[in-house]
Amino acid sequence: MTNTTHRRRIEVLADEPLISAIVRIAADAGITHHTLLPTLGGVGAHGRWRDDQLSGATAKVMFLAITGPDHAAAFIDRLAPLLESHHMLLMSSDVEVVRNAKFD
Amino acid sequence: MALDALLQPVVLFFLLGALAAFARSDLAIPEAVAKGISLYLMMSIGLRGGGEVAETGFTHDMLVAGGAGLVLSFLLPLPAFWLLRTAGRLDRTNAAAVAAHYGSVSVVTFATGSEILRHAGMAPAGFMVAVLALMETPAIITGLLLARAQNQDSLAPRGGLLHETFLNGSVILLLGSFLIGLVAGKAGMAPIAPVFEVPFRGMLCIFLLDMGLIAARRLLDRRALTIRTAAVALLLPLLNGTLGVVLGVELGLDAGSAAALGILAGSASYIAVPAVMRLALPAADPGLYLGMSLAVTFPFNLTVGIGYYGWLAAHVWPLIRG
Repeated sequence: MTNTTHRRRIEVLADEPLISAIVRIAADAGITHHTLLPTLGGVGAHGRWRDDQLSGATAKVMFLAITGPDHAAAFIDRLAPLLESHHMLLMSSDVEVVRNAKFD
Repeated sequence: MALDALLQPVVLFFLLGALAAFARSDLAIPEAVAKGISLYLMMSIGLRGGGEVAETGFTHDMLVAGGAGLVLSFLLPLPAFWLLRTAGRLDRTNAAAVAAHYGSVSVVTFATGSEILRHAGMAPAGFMVAVLALMETPAIITGLLLARAQNQDSLAPRGGLLHETFLNGSVILLLGSFLIGLVAGKAGMAPIAPVFEVPFRGMLCIFLLDMGLIAARRLLDRRALTIRTAAVALLLPLLNGTLGVVLGVELGLDAGSAAALGILAGSASYIAVPAVMRLALPAADPGLYLGMSLAVTFPFNLTVGIGYYGWLAAHVWPLIRG
């Protein structure tokens, strides 16, 4: 049977101009690996939104990282006060990973 | 000239896009294609402007127009801010963010306006492209000062904000292409003209079809817009554009260049400024500043403003001056 290890999965949905700052905060919290995912559109609390490559101001990107619980907690503590003012969504959940060294 | 402007294919394609969006058609231009065409348009505008300046050389008019453009971009957000606070009833942060958009410029409005002016025998001077690039960013600084600098909880590092403001893609591409056109001159431009000159109008038509779709869809999703903010979005281009034309004529620019200065002053950014404002003033509502600049001011300028600025520069203001 393959060995799996417990990790925290963090997802942040944010406007594209904010992503470089989120990556910086993640690095400060010790999260050195992440993936950025493009989005097509959706409907949220402020209504419909769609991909906006023209201005880039409201194009949304999903930041995805899987990391240890300490790093995840440090990242969430730093980002949580900014969620309301910057219109971001933050989700965290438990995952099991294979090859745990890839998810420090 | 105003009616003539409305019947140009570029404007008609914009109207087609808008009608399709209002009719809830599934017509769509892929985002990556639209982004690519916007880069093409900026390269073409820059190259052609640089090529023309290579022919005419650096003139007194060029310095005057550049200075006027810089001053306008720095100062136009001030009355806009006041109008947005009083008539628009916006809070300080939103008013400052929107005001920055109205001090900056719209590349596509300029490109369309230049084509319409050229068609009417009033081609603006090539150096107006440099003025366009100069007017992209000063308004951002004024807007941030009006908002009393960065919000305390902003994610933006100060260095990153300056980088984003002065080295944003459109400024680099416009100025870089202008310099390449200047270095290459008309002779150097000839081999690439089949790519950057001949298809320009056709590409502009495709881009404006997409802009019609975007503007109309944003108007349909107009949660952030009120009657007051929409009225201000119609009033600001008229006031700013008139000021630009009057300043251009008073400074001795030819009618086409004065009209182009009016187009620049009357236009509002929806490419360079929104991304900076989203980073620097996160509390400002992007639905508001994009809605005003893209869904109201841009269509107004395309259908009414450009014709009005051209008419004012060619006939009215010189007549008033005697």
